[in-house]
Amino acid sequence: MIFKDLDPILHSQLRLAVVSLLITVKEAEFTFLKQKTNSTAGNLSVQIQKLKDAGYIDVTKEFKDNYPLTTCRITKTGVSAFEVYVSNLKAYLEVGK
Amino acid sequence: MEQGQFNPNESLKLIDDMIRKAKGSYHDTGIGPILWGTVISICAIITWTERQYDYSLPFDIWFLSLIAVVPQIFISIRERKQRMAVRYEDKAMGYIWSTFGIAIFLLILINNTLIVALKENAPDSVSIFGDYISAFFLLIYGIPTIITGGVMKFKYMLWGGVICWLLIIPSLFSSSKTDMLLIAVAAIAAWLIPGLILRNRYIKKQHCDI
Repeated sequence: MIFKDLDPILHSQLRLAVVSLLITVKEAEFTFLKQKTNSTAGNLSVQIQKLKDAGYIDVTKEFKDNYPLTTCRITKTGVSAFEVYVSNLKAYLEVGK
Repeated sequence: MEQGQFNPNESLKLIDDMIRKAKGSYHDTGIGPILWGTVISICAIITWTERQYDYSLPFDIWFLSLIAVVPQIFISIRERKQRMAVRYEDKAMGYIWSTFGIAIFLLILINNTLIVALKENAPDSVSIFGDYISAFFLLIYGIPTIITGGVMKFKYMLWGGVICWLLIIPSLFSSSKTDMLLIAVAAIAAWLIPGLILRNRYIKKQHCDI
């Protein structure tokens, strides 16, 4: 069987965690992603930017009660990439059995 | 969380963990169902006592249900502000309960208009009509309750909605006075009890997070 390369954007812990959270909800605030992934704000910001650059997520920045509010949501491209990633993972695991 | 590469098993486990975390993060405060369960059951019980003990309040007790819309709006706005993630089903739930509120308002309008028309044209049939109108309210109470219970996988609310529909059967054979007790039971089963369960879960979750 020929293995397809796993998407390098998704095959990294924090980015995969973010996408897995966003696939479950319609949209999530930065604080929510930070809490659930137990990551630092700096690291999370960098990884969110990479996901945004890849077109996997949309990021909206606004102000709420005078505080900056960053909201993320997965795009159609992100959903497709996630589905392909999961199916490739499963293929790897099937062969490993 | 470490920023690094990992094997396929770890990847799948991470995906599973995150999906669980996202799903487990949402806990309804239960305040809305408690509010409506309490208001509707109190209104229905007081209406029953008015008829049973032959007295009447200087105002229509059902106005309480109109007044309760005000705190409900504040509760909804506050909960929305506190929510850090929006689920796909949130919008659908909003539509369902708004539709329910409008449907109840329209049913009250239809009810009152029909009563006025019957009083003018067929006064004897007013009491007959009154004996059956509660069935329509119970029918409408059940619809959003069952949908919410089913979609949110919250069996207590699902059963509450089913109880509303089951109560339609006795309401068809009982007087409008007894129907008030059935309405009270429906409100307690569909909203008050599930609301208290949700509230209990929410408080426990808050303690766990601390």
